[in-house]
Amino acid sequence: MKWRCALTQRWLPAYLDGDPPSFWRERLRSHLARCPACREELAELAEVVRRVKSTAVPEPEPRFWQNFNQELHLKLAQSVPAPPPSRVFKLPYLLGAPALALLLIWVAVGYLNPERSVLAPTPQMAKQERAIQERAAEKMVAKPRVTAPSPETTGVVAFVAQNGEEMSPDDDLTGLRGDLDSTLAGMTEQEKEAFLKRLRQHEKDGSCLRKISVIFWA
Amino acid sequence: MTDPQLVARAQEGDLPAFEELVKKYQREIYGLAYRLVLDAEEAKDLTQQAFMQAFVHIKGFRQQAQFRTWLFRIAINQCYNYLKNKKKFGDPVDADNFVLVGKDSPEEDLIAQDERRRLYAALTRLPAKQRAVITLKLEQGLSYEEISRVLGGTAGAARVNYCQAIKTLKKYLKNEDEHEVAVRSYPKMVTRVSRR
Repeated sequence: MKWRCALTQRWLPAYLDGDPPSFWRERLRSHLARCPACREELAELAEVVRRVKSTAVPEPEPRFWQNFNQELHLKLAQSVPAPPPSRVFKLPYLLGAPALALLLIWVAVGYLNPERSVLAPTPQMAKQERAIQERAAEKMVAKPRVTAPSPETTGVVAFVAQNGEEMSPDDDLTGLRGDLDSTLAGMTEQEKEAFLKRLRQHEKDGSCLRKISVIFWA
Repeated sequence: MTDPQLVARAQEGDLPAFEELVKKYQREIYGLAYRLVLDAEEAKDLTQQAFMQAFVHIKGFRQQAQFRTWLFRIAINQCYNYLKNKKKFGDPVDADNFVLVGKDSPEEDLIAQDERRRLYAALTRLPAKQRAVITLKLEQGLSYEEISRVLGGTAGAARVNYCQAIKTLKKYLKNEDEHEVAVRSYPKMVTRVSRR
């Protein structure tokens, strides 16, 4: 096959449709007039096109289209999107977020407020509380002597019980918190001041820890 | 009522308007699907699926293209998916199962059926895209510009694809015709051998 025939035959199917640009159409026409091989190729391609066009898709029976339309109608009716729900039904969804926020705030305030105990004490905690109260009552009966801090041990409050045993300040503070007035009654002004300072510091540390634990829990 | 008007009403959820469009294009879409999958029942299902998809996504149709070409594109995508799955899971097309509704005499029917069988056997061997381009060009009468909108690419690419498809189909038809001649001559040889 000559290169000119190869070039021409690339355009032959489009030539059958009258599609190629006028420049190519003229060149193809002049080549086909001279070349019998390309004319034969064109005839074969025209035959293929004729066969495809003549062999149409078999037309189904009318009943086919009736069934087709009925089935499609059902499918389309099912796929119609449902109307959007009214605003009345949307309201609870809209209120959900603020309600949750309010609940969280209420719980947080309840936990952070030192005056209020949100959680009920567990039986173990109640037992400990009772033991502390009993110890405090015993101390009241024994009238403990509270010594003022020496200048060498500034900032450390030492409590000495009547039987001479030295206790840790934290233990005593925890025990005495239940009955503060009676404890303060037997102290001098200086001792009271030191004791209250220590007590405030202890309370502050405890509440801070509690706040942190509440935030962590939330 | 024109297509854009029907489409606008269908976009507002008017089902009867969409069914008007279905009635208008169902034969063309069915013909395209039939040519691509070569099975009447599958073509029917794919046509229904194409219309379903069109209805679901009609709100996204911006009327920049013709509704017809948009529908062709959906149908071709459905057919491609079907053919891809079939290729994956087997079930080849049997060209002998094609149903023919005859209008002529039984003899003419037989000849036409034979012709159709050979054509479909040749079409089956073509890649799906070439089958689609032949159908869109020769049966639906789309221009290369419209074909490029349906199948993607440029009008030039659609023309090259079409030319290539026709040449390949010619080669396959030649093979089918030669095979037919060989099969027809074979029983004569067998009878000759058996008589000896």
